[in-house]
Amino acid sequence: MIHLNNIDKYYDSKFQRTFVLKAVNLEVKEGEFLSIMGPSGSGKSTLLNIIGLLDAPSAGEYSLYEKSVLNLKEKAKVDYHRNFMGFIFQAYHLIEEMTVYENIETPLIYKGVKSRDRQAMVADLLDRFNMVAKKDLFPQQLSGGQQQLVGIARAIIGKPKLLLADEPTGNLQSVQGEMIMETLKTLNDEGMTIIHVTHNEKFAGYGKRIIRLEDGIIRKDEKKV
Amino acid sequence: MQSIFKSTYRNFVRKPVTNLINLGGLAISLALVIILSVYSYSELTTDNYHKNGDRLYLLGNSIGPMHMPAVLKDQIDLNIPEVESAVRLADSWEAPVFQAGEHEPISSDLVFADADFFKLFNYQAIEGNLENALKDPLTIVLTKPLAEKLFGKELALGKTVKMNNDKELVVSAVIDELHANTCLKFSAITSVATRKTVEPNGEEFTDWGWCNFHLFILLKAGTSPDETVKKIAALFPKKQEDQQDYSQLKLNSFEKVYFSRLSPFGSDYLRSGDKKKIMILLMVAALVMVIALVNFINISSSQWMEQIRQTGVLKVIGADKGSILKKVLSEAFLLFLMSLFLAIMIVQLLFPYVSNCTGIHFNSHLLFSPSFLTISIAGTFILSLVLSIIPALRISSSKALDNLKKTVENGASTSIFRGVLVTTQFVIAIVLIAFTVLVQKQVNFGSSNLGFNQENIIGIKLTPQLNLKKDVLKKLLQEKPNVSQISYTQYYPGKTISHWTTNQGGGAEKKQFNFDTFNADASFFGMTGLQLTQGRFFSDDLTTDRNKMVVNETFVHEHKLENPIGTKLVMGFGPDAGLSEIIGVTKDFHYKSVNQPIGSLIIQNQTFSSYALVCLNTKDFNSLQSTIRDIKMVTANLSPSFPVEISFFDQAIENMYQSELQFRRTFSLFAGCAIVICCLGILAMSLFACQRRIKEIGIRKVNGARVSEVLAMLNRDFVKWVAIAFVIATPIAYYAMNKWLESFAYKTELSWWIFALAGLLALGIALLTVSWQSWKAATKNPVEALRYE
Repeated sequence: MIHLNNIDKYYDSKFQRTFVLKAVNLEVKEGEFLSIMGPSGSGKSTLLNIIGLLDAPSAGEYSLYEKSVLNLKEKAKVDYHRNFMGFIFQAYHLIEEMTVYENIETPLIYKGVKSRDRQAMVADLLDRFNMVAKKDLFPQQLSGGQQQLVGIARAIIGKPKLLLADEPTGNLQSVQGEMIMETLKTLNDEGMTIIHVTHNEKFAGYGKRIIRLEDGIIRKDEKKV
Repeated sequence: MQSIFKSTYRNFVRKPVTNLINLGGLAISLALVIILSVYSYSELTTDNYHKNGDRLYLLGNSIGPMHMPAVLKDQIDLNIPEVESAVRLADSWEAPVFQAGEHEPISSDLVFADADFFKLFNYQAIEGNLENALKDPLTIVLTKPLAEKLFGKELALGKTVKMNNDKELVVSAVIDELHANTCLKFSAITSVATRKTVEPNGEEFTDWGWCNFHLFILLKAGTSPDETVKKIAALFPKKQEDQQDYSQLKLNSFEKVYFSRLSPFGSDYLRSGDKKKIMILLMVAALVMVIALVNFINISSSQWMEQIRQTGVLKVIGADKGSILKKVLSEAFLLFLMSLFLAIMIVQLLFPYVSNCTGIHFNSHLLFSPSFLTISIAGTFILSLVLSIIPALRISSSKALDNLKKTVENGASTSIFRGVLVTTQFVIAIVLIAFTVLVQKQVNFGSSNLGFNQENIIGIKLTPQLNLKKDVLKKLLQEKPNVSQISYTQYYPGKTISHWTTNQGGGAEKKQFNFDTFNADASFFGMTGLQLTQGRFFSDDLTTDRNKMVVNETFVHEHKLENPIGTKLVMGFGPDAGLSEIIGVTKDFHYKSVNQPIGSLIIQNQTFSSYALVCLNTKDFNSLQSTIRDIKMVTANLSPSFPVEISFFDQAIENMYQSELQFRRTFSLFAGCAIVICCLGILAMSLFACQRRIKEIGIRKVNGARVSEVLAMLNRDFVKWVAIAFVIATPIAYYAMNKWLESFAYKTELSWWIFALAGLLALGIALLTVSWQSWKAATKNPVEALRYE
């Protein structure tokens, strides 16, 4: 599904070029659960952002389903974000002025789903995450784990093929973190492709495949059996 | 759309302080702009609602309307077919007293007009038919407010009102309250024929020399006013042309009369407007608006920066550029719309008070006219679009990742840009404060340097009954305690002063004299403390002093009299005419408003007078009150059928400066609003600044900075801005003040302390406002500040 070929990402300052990613080659198949591990500043997030079309590589090729997605027009990118991929962030990034319900509903509005269908879809998801009672609360009124659950619900409401998670457990206590990882695992079991950046060895273990990045270079690529 | 309402509302509730500041500032300034623009619109469209307005003219010269002889109308009717109708208008010499049945007598103004009056001007009849309302003598048309005062809730039509306790007039119609924007102001109107009965005035209806009427002329369609006026000028007899120059006659379009300069001896019913004042007010309103818009830019851009991460999230979950743009713009528009409606509510609520103290006056139905609402909504839409389009474009077109990392440069958020904006605000505020102080200073100057004594004098307006019993009144008043002197005079501050033209008598070469004149008795000079420079004042003992006169210095200079004492002039008209001799010269004093130059003045010693001035020799409040009660009782007994008006001389002088006083209050109001909005603005700015620098403050404190040092650091920027603003504002204010003072004949001087005061006031207010926030930020526990991020 995802094909990265010789991806470089660097910043030029006056006298030198600083590489964030160097010659990264990566292939991700449909249905994979990939964990990206590495110390701070190793380029994990940059790699995820490039995959998520939020950032452009300085050199290299990137294709989704054999179609190059470099130099996409703004509109095409928005289309990918609406229909193909969902994001989860370390800081949840929920919209504070919206209720739980509205936060989850928003992507569907942008997608142009009809109001009646939206109601059904959001209700289903709330039901599934056991959050029906909390639907009218605002994010500030929830615990971190619950906020992240809303974040996941928002990311998957549009039924994306690919879920990108940037340290989703980074701000959470370990029990809540585990709950989030379990949720992701279930989603993967249902067929969703997940790419997941983490610091945490234990949470990385939820992935079926772990990549270890160091100074922008893939040092290790291990698949679990 | 619904979601935008919702998010605006929630955003508002979440950040009530900054949002209220933003909304409140906008609403206050919009309210001012609404009041002033509607007022200006009302003023600038004065008298444009008369059906025949485009063919309606007022006879005068290029400066303004002039008084015309009554016979001129008859001649025009006979000889000039291009004139569809000519209508004479004059007001009564003194406000008459009306009484309906057994109701209280009421003093009111009255104008006399020819029967065609209602053909020329459009008025709304409430009772009766206007067509023939002014045909017959002894009929009267009342305006609604006067009819209600006279008759209460009863119908007035067909009833009689007694005028001056003498003639009875039949009410032939009642018209609606006059428009606020008209130059013709009257409470009652009666026919010219009635004037012959109730106020006979010499030869005024037969002699070309008696000029007592304004002449309004309705031309037939397609007639040239310039051609017609030549024909009118030709109607004057030759002899008359020698006395006054009628070659400069002009038909002034009636719709423009309001803003033409009226002759200084114009009548009370002909009001004039001041375009300059309107322009100044509009400009000031625009400046206050600028202050509020600066607040909007500052507050909104800070808010957008706070919400920038949220926009990033929206983009990641699928929002396109258009929907973000729409969101930002419609939120801004919504805020403007809310403040517009709030502003309209403020205007509704406060307008009576504002109108009362500033004299700004318009019909409030204008506020809800569809055109006003359309224009104001469209205006706010455009304003909000213009002010938020640039940041909105930046926010919507920046990359989602940059938004998430908060690395978008907003432009409007850079500190230099903000500094410029805040400095602009303070420049405006300082100029307004300085100007307010100056206006105040000029008003004080006007009423305190008049050249005569004004303290402790009470004026009693002489009713016809009092006028018959002047000697009795004088005797009775003198018996009262605390009354030291009584003087009979025609002079009273703010009342019309006669203007005469006459020739030198006594065989000398023919020389024309123009002057203002009034009668006064001998005690007038002592009471008002006028100072003699030559000759002597009147003396009471000498009955021979009857035909003697005192002139002022300006009279002597203007007419180049080397030996004024003993000069004889022909005074009076017709059979009363006789020679009068100048016996004294007094120092100049401001018998008219200080806005007008002092004219040539002759004080005559004739018996006719309209006021009794009573000088009191007590300053004690209680005895003053009891003396006034005594005086009221005495006058009420002597004048049972006419209400007697008693007023303080110094208050009457103050009333002469009504328009300056109103201008001052208007200005204070504006300056006040400007300062309040400015304060709101910097309050919000300091809030944001403290929030933005909360980490820096924490780090500094952890590293040993004292509270005072943090305070100084936070306040330094604001002080800098005010200082720069002061430097910029001073020359601007200086220029504007000089320009404003130019229009006064006698002006106060510009002192340096006005600027210093304005600057210090602005600085003080700024420091107070900012310190409130800075203190809170500086005394916060640094651990708390550093914990988050």
